[in-house]
Amino acid sequence: MKYRIILILMFLFVITFDSFAHQAEIDKKNTLTSDTITIGSEPDYPPYCMVDENGNAVGFSVDLFKAAAAAVDLKVNIKIGVWSKIKRDLAEGRLDALPLVGRTPEREEIFDFTMPYLSMHGAVFVREGAKGINSVEDLKNKEIAVMEGDNAEEFVRRENISNKIFTTKTFEEAFRNLASGQYDAVITHRVMGLHLLDKMGLDSVEPLDFQLQNFRQDFCFAVQEGDSALLSRLNEGLSIIIANDTYEKIRLKWFGPTVKASITAEDVARIAIYVFIPLFLIMSVIWIIVLRREVKRRTRSLEEEISRHKNTLDQLRKQKLLLNEMEKISKVGGWEYDVQTGNINWTEGMYNIYALKRDEYDPSDYKKNTDFYYPGYKNQIIQAFTDTLKTGKPYELLAKLKSADNVEKWVRLRGLPEIENGKPVRVYGNLLDVTEMKLINDEIKERGERINLLLNSTAEGIYGIDLEGRCTFCNASALELLGFDNENQVIGKNMHALVHHSMADGSVHPESECKICQAFNAGKGTHADDEVMWKSDGTSFRAEYFSYPIRQNGEIIGCVVTFWDITQRKEAEEELKNLKDSLEKQVKERTAELRDKVEKLNKSQRAMLYMVEDLNSITAELQEERRKLELSNKELEAFAYSVSHDLRAPLRAINGFSGFLMEDYADKLDEEGKRLLSVIRQNADKMDALIADILNLSRISRAEMSLEEVNMYTLAKSKYDEIATEEEKQSFEFNISKLPPAVGDENLLGQLWQNLIGNALKYSSKSENKRIEIGYRENNDEVIYYIKDEGAGFNPKYKDKLFGVFQRLHKDNEFEGTGVGLAVVQRIVHRHGGEIRAEGEVNKGAAFYFSIPRAKKS
Amino acid sequence: MENINDVEILIVEDNPNDAEMALRALKKNNLANNVLVVEDGEEALDFIFTKGKYSGKEKDSRPKIILLDLKLPKVDGLEVLREVKADEETKIIPVVILTSSKEESDLVESYKLGVNSYIVKPVDFDKFVSAVRDLGLYWLLLNQRPY
Repeated sequence: MKYRIILILMFLFVITFDSFAHQAEIDKKNTLTSDTITIGSEPDYPPYCMVDENGNAVGFSVDLFKAAAAAVDLKVNIKIGVWSKIKRDLAEGRLDALPLVGRTPEREEIFDFTMPYLSMHGAVFVREGAKGINSVEDLKNKEIAVMEGDNAEEFVRRENISNKIFTTKTFEEAFRNLASGQYDAVITHRVMGLHLLDKMGLDSVEPLDFQLQNFRQDFCFAVQEGDSALLSRLNEGLSIIIANDTYEKIRLKWFGPTVKASITAEDVARIAIYVFIPLFLIMSVIWIIVLRREVKRRTRSLEEEISRHKNTLDQLRKQKLLLNEMEKISKVGGWEYDVQTGNINWTEGMYNIYALKRDEYDPSDYKKNTDFYYPGYKNQIIQAFTDTLKTGKPYELLAKLKSADNVEKWVRLRGLPEIENGKPVRVYGNLLDVTEMKLINDEIKERGERINLLLNSTAEGIYGIDLEGRCTFCNASALELLGFDNENQVIGKNMHALVHHSMADGSVHPESECKICQAFNAGKGTHADDEVMWKSDGTSFRAEYFSYPIRQNGEIIGCVVTFWDITQRKEAEEELKNLKDSLEKQVKERTAELRDKVEKLNKSQRAMLYMVEDLNSITAELQEERRKLELSNKELEAFAYSVSHDLRAPLRAINGFSGFLMEDYADKLDEEGKRLLSVIRQNADKMDALIADILNLSRISRAEMSLEEVNMYTLAKSKYDEIATEEEKQSFEFNISKLPPAVGDENLLGQLWQNLIGNALKYSSKSENKRIEIGYRENNDEVIYYIKDEGAGFNPKYKDKLFGVFQRLHKDNEFEGTGVGLAVVQRIVHRHGGEIRAEGEVNKGAAFYFSIPRAKKS
Repeated sequence: MENINDVEILIVEDNPNDAEMALRALKKNNLANNVLVVEDGEEALDFIFTKGKYSGKEKDSRPKIILLDLKLPKVDGLEVLREVKADEETKIIPVVILTSSKEESDLVESYKLGVNSYIVKPVDFDKFVSAVRDLGLYWLLLNQRPY
């Protein structure tokens, strides 16, 4: 009973305190909006928390919680879970409360606790009627028994309760020993001890009334830390059930009347107090009710205000979270500078960028803050900041820094002044980490430059147009080709109107027919090389172009036009065509000429054919003639044969028989008869010589020649030696040069020398100067041999007659001869393809020159 | 000519004047014994090969030398020469061509056929006599038959 009163007092105090605390404190937590809460309960902590056979949570604490909640109109859902899980669920907000939590300093950090509804206190058990122990100090020299390893043992040893401590295996043993007279006291939990004694049926042992202050465990409801709304409601509920005996009913339900209620005489003083206590209780309740009404009223107004504040705070908190999150994501930080105080505040983002920790770095020295920057930028920033302070103008800078963890970063700094009365009172701004952006920008820039370089390095003009035909880009070659100075003159302009408006002949070129625009109208590439483009100076050039659609995400957004000046090419083509035409014309003319010529040739050929026919007939005639000639040659041969045989035979007979006449009848002939006979014989001899010469001449003309190289020197010399008599060799001076050889018939050439040398000898026989000279002269293609004498010579008037047959310039009685020798010589020379001529004067000698052609080199 | 079997010199000559001159030339050289003159080639072949009108002649009896004119009736001198030189028995008989011409074809042909000597009948009889003398001395005195 007194226990109950203490509890109620404690509750009252707590509730009051809590209410005031509510008013004073602006809680961060949400107000409890829902009237249904969810709690967690253990399945196996009897009799406090457990489950029945249906799986429902039951137990003292569960019932107590339900009752307390019901008292303040809270509905409760219970989730069953093991201790560790429900404890964590509560800490993380998945549960609103727990019905049975021992209050420890550690747990106070994560939970808020209601007032304890159950305390397990330690108590000193003694034998009934034992005296002398009224306080903890009285235990000093007593024999104390505790269960080995129990909290009680730890307690007595920690608190150094006694120097005579005994331990038993169980408290049962301790109690039995105590009852049998051992020890002075046993220390254990009061409730537990009472339960045990009841169970053991030991009446002789009882607990002392004083409490062991440092040996107790308080059990409470627990809520999330800061959930003061729920906490206060639960405290209120607890107060109510304790006040209206519900607590007691529940306690009785689970524990029964185990607490000793018997009133002893010694309790009389206390019972007296009971008179005041209900009175006090009633008054207190009334006071409480009044107080609570007032509290409720004020609480409501306060709650409204708190709610507003909470909303604001909540929004602020959310915004702060959002800001932190945003700063993390976007790598941005905010700062402000109070001009008056010189204070600098940074948001989390600032620390993040510099890689600093809030509690390790004080940003209030702005110059120190700039130490992170590379020197050039540092000065720029200080300058900009100072300028802003002076002029009140905002600044924006791009700078490079090295953060505390040695990472190079590019940041964009912005500073904005807040002006009051024309003076900056605060400068605030932000710092944006643009490293990635800068890298991307740099790369984009580099790519752009590369693309520009590429575009501007091509000889082809390239420009792009959008669907309206407006120029979107244009490379250097295109500008140059079109005669513009810079791309501003074309960007955004309708390119068709600018450079493609007219045809070559000046007629309008409608945009609807423009092939360039067809690229995006038709969605495929187009090409033309028979159009012109117009330059800025109004002139045009012949252009070839390709126009291809530009697609972005599959959609045509314009087209790119590649073009170049083909004037020269076209001119060259035309020139080529002209050349070709003129060539074709020439070819035609030439062909016609050729045809004429061919016709003429054909005519000539025909003429030739006729000529050939003529020639053939002439050849045939010639052959006929030759045949006739051969025939006559044969006849001549036959003639010569018959002359040599038939004509000479009678001559022989004349000569021979006239000789026989002389031999046989000389004595019968007178001198005149003998002379006549000798005349006959002489003439017969002469005729014989004539016939021989004629036959010789004939033979030479007809003889077949066998050509070979003939040594003319030895031939001529041997002939001289052969012909000249010893007498002549004595009297003649014979000079012969080393004659070059000749190609000819050795027999015929021998005959030739023989006749010439013979002539020289003969006609020199009567001269004083008997000299014969044989020599030669050489020309390119012939050798001229000569023979000179200083004999009788001849009258040059008759030199042509010298070589005629039977032609004689001397009388027989001067020089004998038949007049055939030189004819033979001439014939031989002619047969060798040479010529012969004679020089001479009467009595001054003669000279004969004959040429023999050199053999043609093969 | 008493005995045709003793003929030492056979003269084949159709011209009786030439034949007479040849005989006179041989006589002058004391070679006129046992000389037979025939007037054409056929008779010459008959004598040499012991046929025709000479079939009574002893086969072994052959002239020591034949003086052969080329231009002959019936069978000409070259044909006679060819037959004489074609026969194993008669080819050893020396044949001297007596001709009035130095016509090349005759000469070349004669040598091809195996003639032993060649005399152009000179118009000057004295030269002819001396030529015959040279021939006779050579062939009849120095050049004995091999049997």
